[in-house]
Amino acid sequence: MKVTVKMIGSFVYATGFSERIFDLAPGTTTDELLEIVEIEKSRPMIVARNGQAVVQGEKLEDGDRVVIAPIFSGGQAAGPH
Amino acid sequence: MFGWTGTILRVDLTERTFRKETFGEEFAHKWVGGRGFALKTLWDELEPGVDPLGPKNKFIVALGPIAGIPAPNTGKTVVAAKSPLTGGYGDGNLGTQVTEQLRKAGYDMLIVEGAASEPTLLYIEDDKVEFLPAAEVWGKGTYATNDWIYARYGRKVGVLNIGQGGENLNLYSTVRSLEGRSGGRPGMGAVMGSKKLKAIVVKGSKPIPQADPKTMKKLGAADLRTVHEMDKKSGWSKQSTTGILAWCNEVAALPVRNMRKTRHSDAWKIDGERLDAARVATYGCPTCTMHCGIAVHDREGRESELDYENIGMLGSNLEVFELDQVGSLNYLCDDYGLDTISAGGVLGFYADAIDRGHIAGDFRFGDGEGAKELLRLAALREGDLGNLLADGTMRMARKIGRGSEAYAMHVKGLEVSAYNCKLCPGMALSFGTSPIGAHHKEAWVITFELNQTVRDSYGRDKAQKVIELQRIRGGLFEYIIACRFPWVELGWQLEHYPIYFNTITGLNWTLDDFWKVGDRIYSLMKFFWLREMPDWNRKMDYPPMVWFDPANADADGPIAGKILDLEKYDGLLDHYYDLRGWDKRGIPTRKTAAALDLEDEARQAEAFGRLED
Repeated sequence: MKVTVKMIGSFVYATGFSERIFDLAPGTTTDELLEIVEIEKSRPMIVARNGQAVVQGEKLEDGDRVVIAPIFSGGQAAGPH
Repeated sequence: MFGWTGTILRVDLTERTFRKETFGEEFAHKWVGGRGFALKTLWDELEPGVDPLGPKNKFIVALGPIAGIPAPNTGKTVVAAKSPLTGGYGDGNLGTQVTEQLRKAGYDMLIVEGAASEPTLLYIEDDKVEFLPAAEVWGKGTYATNDWIYARYGRKVGVLNIGQGGENLNLYSTVRSLEGRSGGRPGMGAVMGSKKLKAIVVKGSKPIPQADPKTMKKLGAADLRTVHEMDKKSGWSKQSTTGILAWCNEVAALPVRNMRKTRHSDAWKIDGERLDAARVATYGCPTCTMHCGIAVHDREGRESELDYENIGMLGSNLEVFELDQVGSLNYLCDDYGLDTISAGGVLGFYADAIDRGHIAGDFRFGDGEGAKELLRLAALREGDLGNLLADGTMRMARKIGRGSEAYAMHVKGLEVSAYNCKLCPGMALSFGTSPIGAHHKEAWVITFELNQTVRDSYGRDKAQKVIELQRIRGGLFEYIIACRFPWVELGWQLEHYPIYFNTITGLNWTLDDFWKVGDRIYSLMKFFWLREMPDWNRKMDYPPMVWFDPANADADGPIAGKILDLEKYDGLLDHYYDLRGWDKRGIPTRKTAAALDLEDEARQAEAFGRLED
């Protein structure tokens, strides 16, 4: 199946591409895709599939568009006092 | 008392006099600095209902305990006054050498009163204050003014100045510094202009009082290096804030066509990759090691320093998808001293109103050349159209009528920043509850919302998150003062800030102490609104109505057919008020005021509107 992967911000330089179509085995998950595009899983990131945030291990489908962005949301949340 | 100079410089432009005043620990510990100092001063000293563009309004430059100390991103200054755009408390921050120089001159705050009879440059050098003629640069843009100042005083002085926008009382004119920095979206430039104050120049030579300067110097230097390394490792500065543009376009949150649309197939032409490729220089604020200002050559060949907000609002929001042309619009805003976000909002609203047949005109979306001319008219207040555009979207909608208020993209009079919230209830709440009007600097909840919550949900968790972010962004960073970028973009831990603060002041504060100060500030800002607007109601905390209009839902894409729900938004707002200890109008209760040591202010507020127990 074909899945378009779009990199955002600094991930463009980390992975060496901005947007690319990948030919993936049916049933490939978003987690497996991260390994294929060689982004460290430890890096904070936002992954969206067809414009919606994904849940862990979500299976991809033919024609999907996956967007991977470094997280832009702050170092730490403040707890209520 | 360490950490504060304990001194305020009060200047009267009418009388051409100045005096030093002192403040003690109680004021310092309760309000800390920056936004806190400015707000409390304006609350105490302004007559309710004062004309924001009259001599009785006060223009304030306020600093905080860590401002100007060599540590990560401490080069920020807060400028504040009663806002001519919103009618409430207004402020902004900008990176400037004024931060360090004003503190070294011995002051934590400058209060400018009255109005000069002729264009004036206020020169401050330690204990010396001079009122100098500035007629030579009155009518000139901020770049020429800056050059004129540098030619006289050298490049190491701190400078705040205005362009023609401020001079002509454009209501979204800003204060400018360092040729590429702007602050004070709610018309702080117009307040300076109303006082005929073209520029403030500051030079200082005294040490900033610190409890443990040796430790702070070592700590600050090490942390500046670490932040720099974190930036390099992450690659953030390659695109700086503009990385978010492509993301917003993918998740249907980009401002397009006065926010009627959330995506555009040409957005890639103005995204972070194109900006990085076109880069000719990079700029940053003092004490910054993660520079965010990416300069490109604009269509006229001038350097124009861009970030996400101005590309979003002057680019995609106007459907101008040529980067050099966006650069030109940004350059003009910077030179005239106009806020880029509001300028993009105003021109977008004007094009939309024409498009809908609600006003006659020949400006269209995508017309970059036309936009340049409109910016000139707005900055100079030239003719009826210039005056219309110079007053901002709220007043434009009142004049145009015909239901245009629904798509006037503002909250409390301040234009919405570059996030299209058709299906981002949390971010809509952030805009709605921002106490100075719709500004992303208060609580940028959109990435949390889209990544860690159900996007189309209105739960208490979102209200709680908005408050948490307001405590950090609209609170901590606005009053201590520092730039939020190391934290928000690189993950620099918040715990560093109490360490800096305690090393400088000799106190032993925790983050919880800071949150309380932030909550105090937010509650007093609400009292400020009540005092200025006794008929205040919760609708003032609503985002633009077009985000609730099913007819405005996207036809395709990730959020096709969906739009915000007003009844659910009201529920979210109730959660927010309840968590803050405010009543159903969004006004702090007496109990909340007491918990935040605001009993006196609450009593004063009661003269203008009832408070609940």
